[in-house]
Amino acid sequence: MRKITLMLMLASLLPVASSATAGSSAKIFGKGVSAPDTVLISDVLAHPDAYVGKTIRVTGTAVGVCKHRGCWVALASDVEGESLRVKVKDGEIVFPPEILGETVTAEGTWTSNVITLKPEEAKHAKKHVAAEGGDKPACSAEGGTCKTVYQLSGTGAVVSGK
Amino acid sequence: MTVGLTLVYGISGLALNHAHHWDANYRRTRAELRIEPVGTGPTPEITPVVLARLAVPEPVKNTWRAAPGTLQVFVEGGQYDVDLVTGRVIRSGFAKRPLLWDLNFMHLNSGKAPWTGIADVYAGILILLAVTGIFLVKGSKGLAGRGGVLMALGFLLPLIYALVIRSGG
Repeated sequence: MRKITLMLMLASLLPVASSATAGSSAKIFGKGVSAPDTVLISDVLAHPDAYVGKTIRVTGTAVGVCKHRGCWVALASDVEGESLRVKVKDGEIVFPPEILGETVTAEGTWTSNVITLKPEEAKHAKKHVAAEGGDKPACSAEGGTCKTVYQLSGTGAVVSGK
Repeated sequence: MTVGLTLVYGISGLALNHAHHWDANYRRTRAELRIEPVGTGPTPEITPVVLARLAVPEPVKNTWRAAPGTLQVFVEGGQYDVDLVTGRVIRSGFAKRPLLWDLNFMHLNSGKAPWTGIADVYAGILILLAVTGIFLVKGSKGLAGRGGVLMALGFLLPLIYALVIRSGG
């Protein structure tokens, strides 16, 4: 009898968990989106420095999600092969793998961070730039052993299905 | 009340403590298969060919040309990464772990508002149980004896850990 009571108590908690993901087709994460205009991901990626520090809204298909903590989602650009990463604070917003392939509108501040590369990473980055026909170093640090990483520091998102 | 809720937080706590060793929320699968290579033609032309050759049993949500030689096909519960040149396909799948996903959802308060109230009440009851429990057992097993030693341990363990963390250890 006691076991049955315990099972019933646990089972009664499940609808609470499920109700947050079920319901309407649009799912809101974090603060959602409120910026008036959507910026093309291709435009942001083509002129990343022009958007640094600005609050922007972007839309794209979710093509990658952080497996460990759901703390980032990669959105496909309107230009083939390009994608933009939306990073959120760990635990504040959790992107589940179910959103892969669905359309996501995300909002946040566009940021740039310079990271230092290890020698082998720098070699790889140099090759990558050359393969893409680029002639500029990733950033202006001495020896070119650094890389500028751009990403959207997300405050909210809306997943609207495929 | 606290028995059920303690089990929720205890079981999911164990699972989440080891989140760096395993995926506490999803069961992941990976399988390799092959299709006849499609080639690296224009995306609108190759996509229907890939889908026809894959003949996936799940509903297709979307596709993405991740690279000139790679097409990704997103389906319910997973994705197919298709190497257009070799025909090698990796299917990555995921499925919610029964019960554990729900327990973790509650533990992390991912649903926010509805659960916050319940979790707050539970936290209050735990504090009440802890404080009143100090005076529950009398004698040598109580505060003056074994109980006191165990209680001191309960304070010392987090205190020492916090000091070590703050000192950069």
